[in-house]
Amino acid sequence: MAVGENPSQSLSPVMDSPSLRELQQPLLAGVGCGPPIQKPGEPQLGPPFGETAFAESLRGWQLLPPPLPTVSAGLGEPGPPDLEDASSSDSDSDWDGGSLLSPLLPHDHLGLAVFSMLCCFWPVGIAAFCLAQKHPQRQEQQHFPSLDDKPQFPGASAEFVDKLEFIQPNVISGIPVYRVMDRQGQIINPSEDPHLPQETVLKFYKSMTLLNTMDRILYESQRQGRISFYMTNYGEEGTHVGSAAALDSTDLVFGQYREAGVLMYRDYPLELFMAQCYGNASDLGKGRQMPVHYGCKERHFVTISSPLATQIPQAVGAAYAAKRANANRVVICYFGEGAASEGDAHAGFNFAATLECPVIFFCRNNGYAISTPTSEQYRGDGIAARGPGYGIMSIRVDGNDVFAVYNATKEARRRAVAENQPFLIEAMTYRIGHHSTSDDSSAYRSVDEVNYWDKQDHPISRLRHYLQGRGWWDDEQEKAWRKQSRKKVMEAFEQAERKPKPNPNLLFSDVYQEMPAQLRKQQESLARHLQAYGEHYPLDHFEK
Amino acid sequence: MAAFAATAGRLLGLRAAGTEGRLLRLRGAGLQRALLQPASATGDAAQRRQVAHFTFQPDPEPQEYGQTQKMNLFQAITSALDNSLAKDPTAVIFGEDVAFGGVFRCTVGLRDKYGKDRVFNTPLCEQGIVGFGIGIAVTGATAIAEIQFADYIFPAFDQIVNEAAKYRYRSGDLFNCGSLTIRAPWGCVGHGALYHSQSPEAFFAHCPGIKVVVPRSPFQAKGLLLSCIEDKNPCIFFEPKILYRAAVEQVPVEPYRIPLSQAEVIQEGSDVTLVAWGTQVHVMREVASMAQEKLGVSCEVIDLKTILPWDMDTVCKSVIKTGRLLISHEAPLTGGFASEISSTVQEECFLNLEAPISRVCGYDTPFPHIFEPFYIPDKWKCYDALRKMINY
Repeated sequence: MAVGENPSQSLSPVMDSPSLRELQQPLLAGVGCGPPIQKPGEPQLGPPFGETAFAESLRGWQLLPPPLPTVSAGLGEPGPPDLEDASSSDSDSDWDGGSLLSPLLPHDHLGLAVFSMLCCFWPVGIAAFCLAQKHPQRQEQQHFPSLDDKPQFPGASAEFVDKLEFIQPNVISGIPVYRVMDRQGQIINPSEDPHLPQETVLKFYKSMTLLNTMDRILYESQRQGRISFYMTNYGEEGTHVGSAAALDSTDLVFGQYREAGVLMYRDYPLELFMAQCYGNASDLGKGRQMPVHYGCKERHFVTISSPLATQIPQAVGAAYAAKRANANRVVICYFGEGAASEGDAHAGFNFAATLECPVIFFCRNNGYAISTPTSEQYRGDGIAARGPGYGIMSIRVDGNDVFAVYNATKEARRRAVAENQPFLIEAMTYRIGHHSTSDDSSAYRSVDEVNYWDKQDHPISRLRHYLQGRGWWDDEQEKAWRKQSRKKVMEAFEQAERKPKPNPNLLFSDVYQEMPAQLRKQQESLARHLQAYGEHYPLDHFEK
Repeated sequence: MAAFAATAGRLLGLRAAGTEGRLLRLRGAGLQRALLQPASATGDAAQRRQVAHFTFQPDPEPQEYGQTQKMNLFQAITSALDNSLAKDPTAVIFGEDVAFGGVFRCTVGLRDKYGKDRVFNTPLCEQGIVGFGIGIAVTGATAIAEIQFADYIFPAFDQIVNEAAKYRYRSGDLFNCGSLTIRAPWGCVGHGALYHSQSPEAFFAHCPGIKVVVPRSPFQAKGLLLSCIEDKNPCIFFEPKILYRAAVEQVPVEPYRIPLSQAEVIQEGSDVTLVAWGTQVHVMREVASMAQEKLGVSCEVIDLKTILPWDMDTVCKSVIKTGRLLISHEAPLTGGFASEISSTVQEECFLNLEAPISRVCGYDTPFPHIFEPFYIPDKWKCYDALRKMINY
């Protein structure tokens, strides 16, 4: 059974560099190396040419080991499927430096000299003899004294050490926590004060508090059965707003699910937050996902997905594309300390570093992944300590200090874009709320612990103290703002409740850009079904 | 010589016993070679590696796409990638070992031609490769990711199924990764065993939102790959690795597209419909010849090409005409894509069927090494199943 003809090497239409073509030649292994195969019972053959001195020089090259084919050759290159090709699968290994000498001749100069003399090739013999004096024997290893005492491994750049010592991971006094304000909102080191204008700092404050108000109302609404699910951001508002403020408005954001403050800072309207949670006809996501899975193209906030850490390598790819486009954009990628355990996190960090991507990895280390405390999530010095392992510039900050978050993100952004390298910011904070409406955290932590953070180290109160210290805020404004923000949220909330859900046809669209024939049939099948059985379905709540 | 006499005697003995089926199986496994050739101290014929189980049949030179060049499958892939990178300045190719040309030489020369920012190696991490590719595609740039073997696509399964496939739907079309294409070598190669021979299309067929495509030849591969790259949905393009060098035909140098989700009737017939994709299409062609020659049966051979979304209409139309359907793939029988085709066809064409639908597939085992000749759904198994269908 013949196989389709094998193309010869010269057929390649694309640029097949000569060096690659060399690699494609089958190994010459075994040719001219080693004595001829002896059949049993036949008299032993002496050395090929029978003369002792001569044979001695030949033995030199006979003993050269045949070059080994690389282990990977057989797999990467499937052997030709027919039996006519007697050689084993192509090897990609180079051998012998591409010697121009025939394999039958000695390869060392001295041997060649002797051989030539004996065969009366005097000029060759003399030349080879001279060469033998000038150049060291090929069999002997060349000596490079200057490289003796340094490791030459391609895999690491380091010195030798002759003392057996394991590196002790430092978790007792780990990477320090950068902060600008103390817990009472006082600037510690004035040179670290970003000196943001009043308007900007007020925007920080109002974004955080509006988010807080929206969280309370929507959490309640889930308890009352109005929406199916909710996740609050209590205690982490500083991480959202501080970082969002340090970015350009067109910087692309990949989040996990607890970064609503970033959208809030970018002026995502309350109506749209609510629409997504209610899955009503105004939802830009067309009602397809659970609450808090926000997305906004206009505000460069990629739609949230439930699987954790999947956004990390995606953010890196987006950053790579931004770099190629010379967009002067950074991509920021948020995730929790729990998600940082996923393989996708490792993948993302490694790719960002090796491919030199302008991406900020922002880890919200809030102490818990649902019920799992950090002591069960990792054993090293948090997430920041992993950065250097990947070759990534890293910092740990006080996530409840909005100015520290701002400063770190600002500098990271500047350098990421200027230097095309990733930055890792681990923002230490605390998750004051439950993981979600499906969680009751009193099952795994004390109320005292939660109260400490709520009362003693909250990003909102720290900023309020700062504002009050500057004379930019007071109790009256606080009271008025609380009333106003609550009113805004309630209005949006009531409106969102009243709106119908999207048309059920939207169940079927956007699977692909165009609807496949099979899916259209299924859509028609549902339509027919609803005609007959519609009374059993909540059609009244959906747009027609 | 004594060995030969003994084996020849055994062969005759089998004939006498009338176990024709067994003889066919033995012949199919290539043991006939061993029985007829004596063992010797060197070059034992029984130990030599098997001849391929198919003959690649090139299609006639296409006329409508301009100048053509003789290319094998990997060269056709290179040509498609070359065309893409030339046309689309955002397009990038990445994966393990693509920079030097790739372990199957599909990307040879592209880094030199287009630059190291466009054709580059990634670390060894499939979930990273696909996740990274999704991210590029989200910005609107064209991402062509290579997974070194389809067998290694599973670490990326979450990114493909939970992310790429659902990106557009879950965001209400605010975001998508339609400009992502994932390429991977696919299918048996004679000696690949468990981890260099898999055909995982069935895992992905169950995932709305992606497209899955398998070409049968260099000309098909270039056109289908270009369609995948330009398609506005994330696509997985499986390349039959056994065809990389073995399949040679005239392929247009300029870009051209072969539409996705359109099956092709490559040979018309009236008695049985044979459906396959990739390498198996060539096996089916031979089965069709055998059926014509030995049984006088006229077969209609269909290359499905796109597994998801698949072209039901062409297949059903054919079965309505012939009344019999045989589907064949290397992937294991249970849950293989033949079961989806079979299920749909019996729903749509029940009253047209003259015989139960036949599936000739790999066994429900991992893909074995030394037993490959017994494992694969070769032409003898297909022929036998066809014969049974005709005689039903």
